[in-house]
Amino acid sequence: MSLTAVPAAPSADGPAVEGPRRRRAPRTPSLRGRATLALTAVAVALTVALAVGVWVAATQYLLYTRQNVTLAQAVANAAQVQRGLSAEGLPPAELLSQLPRETGSVSLLADDGEWSTTSLRIGREELPEALRGAVAGGQPSRQRIAVDGEPYLAVGVPLAGLQDAYFEVFPLHELDDTFRVLGVVLTSSVLAVAPLSAAVGWWVTRPALRPLERISAAAAAIAGGDLGARIDPRGDPSLVPIAASFNATAAALEQRVRADARFASDVSHELRSPLTTMTTAMSLVGSCADALPPDGREALELLRSEVRDFEQLVDDLLEISRADAGSTDLALEDVRPAALVREALARRTAAGGGTVEVTVRADASDVVVRADKRRLERVLRNLIDNADTHGGGLTAVTVERSPDHACIVVDDSGPGVPEAERGTVFERFARGSGSTRSRTPGSGLGLALVSRHVQLMGGSVVVTDASGGGARFVVRLPVAGGTDGGA
Amino acid sequence: MRRSVLFIEDDERIRRVVSLALRREGLEVAEAGSGEEGLARLAERPYDVVLLDLVLPGRDGFEVCREIRRVSTTPVIMVTARADSRDVVAGLEAGADDYVTKPFVAEELSARIRALARRTRSPGARPRVVVGDLEIAPADGVVTRGGEVVPLTRTEFKLLAELAAERGRVLSREELLERVWGYDYFGDSRLVDVHVRRLRVKVEADPANPTIVTTVRGMGYRLPG
Repeated sequence: MSLTAVPAAPSADGPAVEGPRRRRAPRTPSLRGRATLALTAVAVALTVALAVGVWVAATQYLLYTRQNVTLAQAVANAAQVQRGLSAEGLPPAELLSQLPRETGSVSLLADDGEWSTTSLRIGREELPEALRGAVAGGQPSRQRIAVDGEPYLAVGVPLAGLQDAYFEVFPLHELDDTFRVLGVVLTSSVLAVAPLSAAVGWWVTRPALRPLERISAAAAAIAGGDLGARIDPRGDPSLVPIAASFNATAAALEQRVRADARFASDVSHELRSPLTTMTTAMSLVGSCADALPPDGREALELLRSEVRDFEQLVDDLLEISRADAGSTDLALEDVRPAALVREALARRTAAGGGTVEVTVRADASDVVVRADKRRLERVLRNLIDNADTHGGGLTAVTVERSPDHACIVVDDSGPGVPEAERGTVFERFARGSGSTRSRTPGSGLGLALVSRHVQLMGGSVVVTDASGGGARFVVRLPVAGGTDGGA
Repeated sequence: MRRSVLFIEDDERIRRVVSLALRREGLEVAEAGSGEEGLARLAERPYDVVLLDLVLPGRDGFEVCREIRRVSTTPVIMVTARADSRDVVAGLEAGADDYVTKPFVAEELSARIRALARRTRSPGARPRVVVGDLEIAPADGVVTRGGEVVPLTRTEFKLLAELAAERGRVLSREELLERVWGYDYFGDSRLVDVHVRRLRVKVEADPANPTIVTTVRGMGYRLPG
């Protein structure tokens, strides 16, 4: 049977998991960024199309209207001039000055080659040859002209029965001003739409993408070891189907991991009954070891140490697999680390392990932590065992305190733990680099269990160098600060 | 005087080998392969200690333990495969006085059996203590309330008597383990906590707000002076 088939629980042991988890830098923009960009592009394109449409329609319409108005006025004025010339015989200059005109427009009259005008700036020369020719040919015409750089519309109407023609020149700069304002308005609205739609897109895509964020948060939680993480689809109908399948997957995974852990737990549990028979039978045989021949005694000794290791392995395996299976029997109480360390060292002395006195710093003698006493005892025992079996022997145990933590420091006299192995030393069945696969005493689970238990109690454990050159294990536990009166 | 033990365990190999080991330790051992058989044997004659496996066919260990408690004050040591599980607390709640975890060492087990058997005798001549309407008479081994005997197990009585002997002083769990169970360093403080809980149910007017056996947070328990 391979007892190394410990469930591959997703939660690693020890501070190794606290190392930086490299996250790939996103080379492509985020989904939200791309959605926002697309929205902005569409909004800008639509606005540009709309602005161009408005520009074309508005300018065409305004020009058309202006042309109609000016033509109507010119024709009306031409009729009045014709009446004036034929009936009343007024001089042309007086006739022109009596005409109703809009502000800025100029009337000109060509009376048998005699030109009269109401303006000093605009006379015969300002009217293009083509226009004059067309009107002289009996054809009412109009043409855009420029006088001193300003735009005008010249309209010419031949007077019926006479060799005369009436011209009226209308200023267009107001229309141009209107066009300019319209252009500015349209352009600036296009420019304003870009950032505005980007902002709106960013804001609008947030709730739309929130389900994705919740899914990724839940997935990260599971990857981080919280197998119970689920997505709560309430408040977001769009999340319901994906949440259902996600939760089903997570539940299947959790069940699988728990089943694996339970299997390991059951196996080690089943092993305890035969172990009881073995250890008891062995101690019975041991009590009559004197009656055995020397080689029988040696064989018994080998058997005894092997059974002891086996017992430890089964014990540790049971404990760690129960933790994997989600055991929730954490019983936190107020514990004085100094007293607990003293007891653990006394047990070691009683078991023939020599005497090491605990050093308790002045401010740490009364420090109380919230801890599971049984687990903390186990942590101490495993650290002391580790120092004795792998670290060349325990040299010192110190209890210190920082403002928020109590620290239990366990030093040994071994070669220490190389920097590179400090993260992996708390992993299951981790062996020092020197002894790749060779068997060493102990279960190989002791430090994994230490890390597991300490984390469960809200603390941390690290390994550094002892001042004397060996390894130093430091367990930090939060100081009890609650006010509940439970004992 | 040879101590007598009744070992109730369904696993025959364990039963045989543990009996062998305990006999070698100088104990008189009777074996029972089921809860029913164990209760029948207990009815035939008294034993100093009952060793009870929690996993039994038919009536399980908890049930058998409650039944033993109903009819006698014989100390019960339960045998469990898991030290960390709720089994321990549940077993103590069911009335067990102590527990051992498989795999156990025969020498340690016999030491516990002897400690339990020893301390169930009269704890010497100590003065009577009166707390409210409760009267503790260590010499007689009884606790009375208004003249009526409060039915305590021997361990519960011993616990109360130790607290009464040091009235007004706080006794830590470790001290109580040593005084009541006779352990140094090997005890489990849950033994004390569960027994205090059981004791309170029997002697306190309101077990949720104890006035006789009070908790001193982070320190232990005390009988107010």
